[in-house]
Amino acid sequence: MADDAGAQEKKPVSIGSELIIPIAALAFTLYYFYTIWNAPWTAQVAAFIVGSVLILLVVLILIKSFRQLSRGDGEINFDNLIEPRSYIPKRLTLLGLTIAYIFVVPWLGFTITTFLFLSLAMLVLSDFTKKRLILSLSATLSLGGYLLFIVAFKTRFPAGPFENLMNGLF
Amino acid sequence: MEYDLAFFTEMLGRTLALWWVLIPSIFLGLVVGAIPGFSAANTIIILLPLTLALEPEIGLTFMVGLYASSRMGAGIPAILVNIPGTAGAAATPLDGYPMTKQGRGQQALSMSFVASITGGLFTTIIALITLPWLSQVAFYLHSVEMIVIMFFGISLIATIAAKDTLKGLIAGFFGLMIGFIGTDVVYETPRGTFGFLELYDKVPLIPALVGLFAISEAFAVIEKQSIVTERGKAAMQEPGWAQTFEGVRIAASKWWHITWNSLIGLVIGVVPGAGAAIASFVAYQQSKTYSKTPELYGTGHVEGLIAPESANNGVTSGTLVPLLVIGIPGGATAAIMLVVLQFHGVTVGPDLFITSPELAFGPFTAMAVTYALMILTVLPLARYMSHITVVSTIYMAPIIISFTLVGSFVPRAYLFDMNLALVFGVIGYVARKTGYHVAAILIGVILGPLMETFFLRAMKMSQGDIMVLFSSSIGNTLWVFLVISLALPYIMNRRNGKREKAAAHDPYG
Repeated sequence: MADDAGAQEKKPVSIGSELIIPIAALAFTLYYFYTIWNAPWTAQVAAFIVGSVLILLVVLILIKSFRQLSRGDGEINFDNLIEPRSYIPKRLTLLGLTIAYIFVVPWLGFTITTFLFLSLAMLVLSDFTKKRLILSLSATLSLGGYLLFIVAFKTRFPAGPFENLMNGLF
Repeated sequence: MEYDLAFFTEMLGRTLALWWVLIPSIFLGLVVGAIPGFSAANTIIILLPLTLALEPEIGLTFMVGLYASSRMGAGIPAILVNIPGTAGAAATPLDGYPMTKQGRGQQALSMSFVASITGGLFTTIIALITLPWLSQVAFYLHSVEMIVIMFFGISLIATIAAKDTLKGLIAGFFGLMIGFIGTDVVYETPRGTFGFLELYDKVPLIPALVGLFAISEAFAVIEKQSIVTERGKAAMQEPGWAQTFEGVRIAASKWWHITWNSLIGLVIGVVPGAGAAIASFVAYQQSKTYSKTPELYGTGHVEGLIAPESANNGVTSGTLVPLLVIGIPGGATAAIMLVVLQFHGVTVGPDLFITSPELAFGPFTAMAVTYALMILTVLPLARYMSHITVVSTIYMAPIIISFTLVGSFVPRAYLFDMNLALVFGVIGYVARKTGYHVAAILIGVILGPLMETFFLRAMKMSQGDIMVLFSSSIGNTLWVFLVISLALPYIMNRRNGKREKAAAHDPYG
């Protein structure tokens, strides 16, 4: 047990994934500075103060990471971001379905898109078991969502064939 | 007219007679508060045809009931699934969600309900009694004082960053930079918008909230069978009311904590443009600073849950004060109430207390009755609501993604906001997996633009003299309090460390 704990403590830090947020923050700050370079001082002052501190902090974490690398305490990999690896296919499929949901909803409308998204996502996550339960749950939730968001709350959500049909009927 | 006990008793009776308006508004408020994007303000706008058709007193009672209950409803998903319903509940999951993971969801909900109800009820009564004096607060808190109050909220980033200071500060400052996206308040110069017109009016809060908390959480929980740990599941196997009563008992024992933090909410609520998010961050930060057990915050600590919940409910009565006394709405919901009153030909301001005292005091008695009714209607629900946490993540994750994406669309009806929520979801997921706190990013996104606005106003008024920040006595007093509250944890830590060292070396210890 103690050996296990010791082994865990010695596991090198995943430098690659730990630097994603600082690098993104640095890139965004530099882009932000570029957009305000010729702006009036009122548009610059707060961002220059906060951005300068942020750049300093990023430099500090970069120095810390280089020291970890030189000491052998860290490795350039993305392990703690992608682990557990067995979930990578499910995670990527869910991300793909989410992107598809956003792009398809203007054409198919809320109800049909939500039904398709829920059933496909649940089927993927459950390894295509419990099909009947998943399909009925997805249908209930998407219809419930239609009644709550569109009928009751009058949300201006993109209408598709189902919403247009219901509008025509009632 | 004399405002004596008989007058207020009569007002209370009139409000109680409107129970048929308040009870549906409470349940509607709980639902809309719990779904990100469906705030009380949005719902009241949707239901404007109904509220405009009602008598002003009944319409106001309905809006107040919905407003108060939605504030409490926002804390429910924050505790159970780590998704705050509104920005005002963004500090609630810091300790509420760890409690749920430990199988104490039912207890956490009942504690949150008690803190919200008693905090809201107490501040409503205080607001009613101190109305003439409270209305003056807004006159004394100008841009300079608000900047210091913002610093109280922003210093929560440092508190959150306690475990890994560098990562916490990077997350917080990254959030602040994201918060600066949009046009500046003076010349309307677009900044950091990537050319998107939809970002000219700053980063919308709901997509940021949905992405950072809900989407990222949904992608993270699929690696587990359910939100609750195995030990937590075992703890939830004993059905019954015991957990609810235990939660009530624990919350009641922290009555001083509720009182203090709800008063913070009341004072911040009185300032137009402030609001529940600032109040809950300030309350959490203060609560941790003066706590005897600050090291327990973030691990499912009772005080860490009670502080933001009592503060954001203290705000509700506070926002009504400037609306009714000086005719300036303290927030979006109060602004809609103003529209409804004006539609009925009612002019708000000091005269209202003489011409229509039932309309001037009515919202406060309605709020008090709403909170009292919520004890009976909401508290029993804690037992059943908490069971949502044992639902398998196979079902939970897709439901969270689809319904919160809808929520991010609702406030502005832009499809762009759903894409934005996904971008924030990716940022939130990477942040979670690599130890950068998403709450620190969100604090920056919420408070960044507010602080910039107050800062620029102060600089404009002083013609660019930075010393304006130290020009008011109230502001200077607040600066002193800020320095004390930032220094105190370090002083206490050093003192405790020295004591422990001394005790270890004491042969008779």
